[in-house]
Amino acid sequence: MIKRKKNIFIRFFRNPKVQPFLSVILPVALGVLVFALWQTQILHKILGTDTFTLPLPSQINRIIGDNLPKIMLNVKATVLVAVIGLAIGSFIGYLIAVLATVFPRWGAGGLSIVAAFNAIPIVALAPVMTNWTKDVSSDASVRSMVAKVLVVMIVSIATMSVNAYRGLNNLPEFSLDLMKSYAAKKRVVFFKLRLPNSVPYIFTALRVGVPSSVISAIVSEYFAEYITGVGRQIRENIVIAQYATAWTYIAVACLIGISMYCILMMFEGILLRNRK
Amino acid sequence: MSKAKKIVSSKPFIMLVWVLVLVAIWEMGAANMEKTKRTPENVLPHVSQIVASVFSDKMVSNSQTATQIVWSSAEATLERAFIGFLFGTIFGFLMALLMKLSGLVEKTIFPYLMLIQMIPIIGMAPIILAITHDIGTSRIVIAAILTFYPVATNTLAGLNSVSKEKYELMYSYAASKWTIYRKVLIPSCIPYFFTGLKISAPMAITASILVDTLQGDGGLGCMLSQSLKHAMSIYVFWQIVFFSAFVGILSSVLMGVIEKRVSPHMRADRKRRKKV
Repeated sequence: MIKRKKNIFIRFFRNPKVQPFLSVILPVALGVLVFALWQTQILHKILGTDTFTLPLPSQINRIIGDNLPKIMLNVKATVLVAVIGLAIGSFIGYLIAVLATVFPRWGAGGLSIVAAFNAIPIVALAPVMTNWTKDVSSDASVRSMVAKVLVVMIVSIATMSVNAYRGLNNLPEFSLDLMKSYAAKKRVVFFKLRLPNSVPYIFTALRVGVPSSVISAIVSEYFAEYITGVGRQIRENIVIAQYATAWTYIAVACLIGISMYCILMMFEGILLRNRK
Repeated sequence: MSKAKKIVSSKPFIMLVWVLVLVAIWEMGAANMEKTKRTPENVLPHVSQIVASVFSDKMVSNSQTATQIVWSSAEATLERAFIGFLFGTIFGFLMALLMKLSGLVEKTIFPYLMLIQMIPIIGMAPIILAITHDIGTSRIVIAAILTFYPVATNTLAGLNSVSKEKYELMYSYAASKWTIYRKVLIPSCIPYFFTGLKISAPMAITASILVDTLQGDGGLGCMLSQSLKHAMSIYVFWQIVFFSAFVGILSSVLMGVIEKRVSPHMRADRKRRKKV
């Protein structure tokens, strides 16, 4: 085959030695570019807005610095809701998946009902939960906390149960036959084969579940009785037209999502070390 | 297997039983509430009461019954959700193609696609409203953003899943790039593309409803909060909750149906079955 000589730029970009550098440099360059456009207010011109509705990064940074204790209080409320809801929801979701595996005929049908919960808008769930938890405690902060946790829980149950069921049943080829040839009991098959097999699937579910639990926590704060949390602060500040503060809380919400995801990735790296 | 047994063990029947179980639990709760609460319909009304409110022609606002309100506001919300969903789908698909065509674009944008999942876009709804100044536009924009990333990431995964042998075959045919895309890459990414759509369709609806709650301009979310504040019959709230849950599930199912109609290998399957 005759190779046409490519020009120097293409040869540079196709060079395998350059590739790993490019995959770091290019995204960083884009990020820097966006921030530069933002800070120099060119982005404002493109979007047709002003620094009042879209404050500069330096301004947001300053507000974070000024209000750190108050922000941390709200972060704590949101993270607590997201983590507790995710933990309980994932646990229940896994239990449902186990039940569906043990009783396949009735379980699989029930699982599709649970999966359908995934498609229910959080907006519809949050006010219902607020209504249902009115009697849980006389303290408004406790009962709205319970309501928020319930919303996050329901969202997490759906993700976890579907993925865990896949993990418990998509077994490696012939492994079930091998177990049969050992005359292994159902219990042994479960603990030695199905349970370990489902671990990567748990992480797949959590990868979806972590961001969605943060988002559900934020949305359910909108409808909660007690005014706390990052999501509620976004809304409260918009209502009083404090866009700069609202943006600060949006930035904080992004940071929560990203750092929780990073923590999950670390756990995954440690626990699944031997599988890769 | 006898016919009766076949029906009992079929999936729709099992799902129906589960739905009935859920309804029974709901009714038990409702009966309990009726005894203990002064206004049980605020917390947990009977299913029959909700159904009755759908068919009752009592005016709950100036000139509309509860069902009319739900329908007219659903029109506004779902139309915007649909337009946003359409834009997001087209943009997401094109973005995935672009990322496949150019490694440089993929390297630059892909980390941000991952990152955007962590950002609570719904939390940004008020800000986007402030930038666009128009509730209709901001509904479309947010629904489009939320649709965009599941479609883009899933489609890209589909484009990257094409095995090397297929490329080699096309190469041996001396197929042009356009032919490879048309005959191999795009058909094989269709199932992944629809996975993305199934995830994003309920999200687009959620987003659209949530944006409604921000401003009194009609729409499901607006009526939802109005009804919660007891500005009109509480049954409007319950109808909207069930309606949005139903539409969310329906939208996901609908994508599955469209997938069966559109995807090439399933179409081929159907043809084969017709011949037999």
